[in-house]
Amino acid sequence: MVDKDKKTIEVRGFLQLDAHLKKKYGSMPVIMELKEPIRGTELAEKMEVPWDEVEVIFVNGFVQALDYIIHPGDRVAFLPPGCPGPYRIAMGFYGKNQGNPASFKIKERQ
Amino acid sequence: MNKFIRVNMTTLKVTTEEVPAKYAGLGGRALTSNFVADEVKPTCHALGKNNKIIFAPGLLSGTSAPNSGRLSVGAKSPLTGTIKESNTGGSFSQKMAKMGIKAFVIEGMPTDDKFYVIKIDMNGVTVEEAPTEILGGCGNYEAIRILSEKYGEKVGIGVAGPAGENRLPSANISFKDPEGNIRSAGRGGLGAVLGSKKVKAIVIDDTGAERVSIADPEKFKAASKVFAKAILDHPVSGQGLAAYGTTVLVNILNEAGGLPANNFTAGRIDHNDNISGETLNATITERGGDGKVSHGCHAGCIMRCSQWYPDKNGKYITSGFEYETIWGLGADAGIQNLDDIAYCDREMDDIGIDSIETAVAIAAAMEGGLIPWGDGKAALEAIKEIRKPTPLGRIIGSGTAVVGKTCGLYRTPVVKDQAIPAYDPRSVKGIGLTYATSTMGADHTAGYCISGNILKIGADIDPLKKDGQIEYSRAMQIGTAAVDSTGMCLFVYFGVADNPGGYQALIDMINAQYGINLTSEDVDKLGESVLKVERAFNKAAGFTNAHDRLPEFFEYEPCPPHNAVWDFTPEEIDEVYAFENEEATNC
Repeated sequence: MVDKDKKTIEVRGFLQLDAHLKKKYGSMPVIMELKEPIRGTELAEKMEVPWDEVEVIFVNGFVQALDYIIHPGDRVAFLPPGCPGPYRIAMGFYGKNQGNPASFKIKERQ
Repeated sequence: MNKFIRVNMTTLKVTTEEVPAKYAGLGGRALTSNFVADEVKPTCHALGKNNKIIFAPGLLSGTSAPNSGRLSVGAKSPLTGTIKESNTGGSFSQKMAKMGIKAFVIEGMPTDDKFYVIKIDMNGVTVEEAPTEILGGCGNYEAIRILSEKYGEKVGIGVAGPAGENRLPSANISFKDPEGNIRSAGRGGLGAVLGSKKVKAIVIDDTGAERVSIADPEKFKAASKVFAKAILDHPVSGQGLAAYGTTVLVNILNEAGGLPANNFTAGRIDHNDNISGETLNATITERGGDGKVSHGCHAGCIMRCSQWYPDKNGKYITSGFEYETIWGLGADAGIQNLDDIAYCDREMDDIGIDSIETAVAIAAAMEGGLIPWGDGKAALEAIKEIRKPTPLGRIIGSGTAVVGKTCGLYRTPVVKDQAIPAYDPRSVKGIGLTYATSTMGADHTAGYCISGNILKIGADIDPLKKDGQIEYSRAMQIGTAAVDSTGMCLFVYFGVADNPGGYQALIDMINAQYGINLTSEDVDKLGESVLKVERAFNKAAGFTNAHDRLPEFFEYEPCPPHNAVWDFTPEEIDEVYAFENEEATNC
């Protein structure tokens, strides 16, 4: 559940970003201070997570586009390309990742 | 491939015929399911003399096509009572194809109590008494070692482990992989069918076999190159799976709230970091020794999603350490130690029991008070009981539905008596529809591939909503049935799903091999036709739409963190197979 009174967010990274965030912050999840809403892209920059390593983000258990607005109290995870196919459809990636250069769009479609 | 071999275990006679014309264009699942529908009495007892078991390579097996070495095994399932196709890696399929064997069938059953080994080589097929040292509780690792020593290190082997010998409904058939370890035709109890026919093992030696002939080698080579590139260029099949294996899904499903936990009472756990693919990778890397982060289950695999998991001293424990097994023991049964789960996985491989069915059965046994929650050591001891088998071992080895009944549980996660795997149908509804309606019982691999326009199908999917899910499940099941018939690993789909060129290359390879002109529409029709045949068998066996339902508890027990329930009506569920009554078309 999202705690609106919190001034922090909980951040995770998966696949190669798991090791990246553990090395940078020493633990998982990373608890970040956040007083005002922030875009996923800004959060990624702040945490030195390259955009092209993120296909979608999870916010409070739902798949969202990378520029989704994150609020204090949210639970966030960065997901690089690498989630196997049928689950990417079943969990709704296709409605969220089409504007993202890190999505699995094949060259012919770009 | 023009040989169709039958071994009659009642008479111990072998017949080798030309492939019947009606099976000429079929391979893999399309062949096994059509054969079972044609020759197995739907109402027969799966462990009786009227069941038959068939082994078939795919249409592309034995060629240089990447990832084409999968084997389909078909029969009536003793676990579900439905038709069953179970699919495996190893070297068996490619050897069959190179030897020109389109299918190998075992029928009848002996009246005595002897177990046999069937040996197939270029001189023919022989049926011999099984060596006593591989019987009566001998593990599969040791049985494969003994058989390889006797028949040659390079032979392919399929073996019924102790679970199969004892005809337990969750018994699998274990296949020797290129390094002598184990891959499994896991689901549906086909090891019990082999055991019922008193076949302990099948040994295949392709010494002297020619290469598989290709009608248009240049076209095949070109298509194969495009296909390999589509797989290797893709972040999932080219990088993600090789680094983290299928266990990459632990963190992802956990985050989505769709990782079933504590016998399907929650969709998220706190100890996900202990059992994640990322931790699996880091542990194997850190321990070194025999450990391999990436490994192929059959020659020609370029995705290499398997791995060798070592102990703290670097000594091999297990391989093919899959997401569904780690989920079942780690989340559903709450075991937090990855080493404990690895030892359970090794024991299940050694006994020859389906690790998905057994892991879910262990979780149900924990809820039923037979095993303490989350206790990995106690779970391992319970699994060891299956080898003997003690009464507890027989109960667990009979699968989740039997454990649920034995323990008086209403929360028994099965469809058609097969355990629901690692994706909660309340939080990922499209997969729930596939569990409910699949011809195989609850099976995540029944809905893995779409051959049509993925964007059209997938653009509007919200995992918690109904919109688009019926079309998603239908398209996935049709596409999967088609790919299962090629001999391709289902994971090739990850590489070709977003790439029309990659999918076309798969079809081009089939066309080049056989000198035909299939289109993608033909392949869709093949998938549909396979499902129709399977549904017809199940109906004749007594199954109706009323069996295409999830257990009732999913309707009234919300799954945290999203607190979703299963809310598809029976009429909506039945829409998934609305196409089955459409007129059959050529394929």
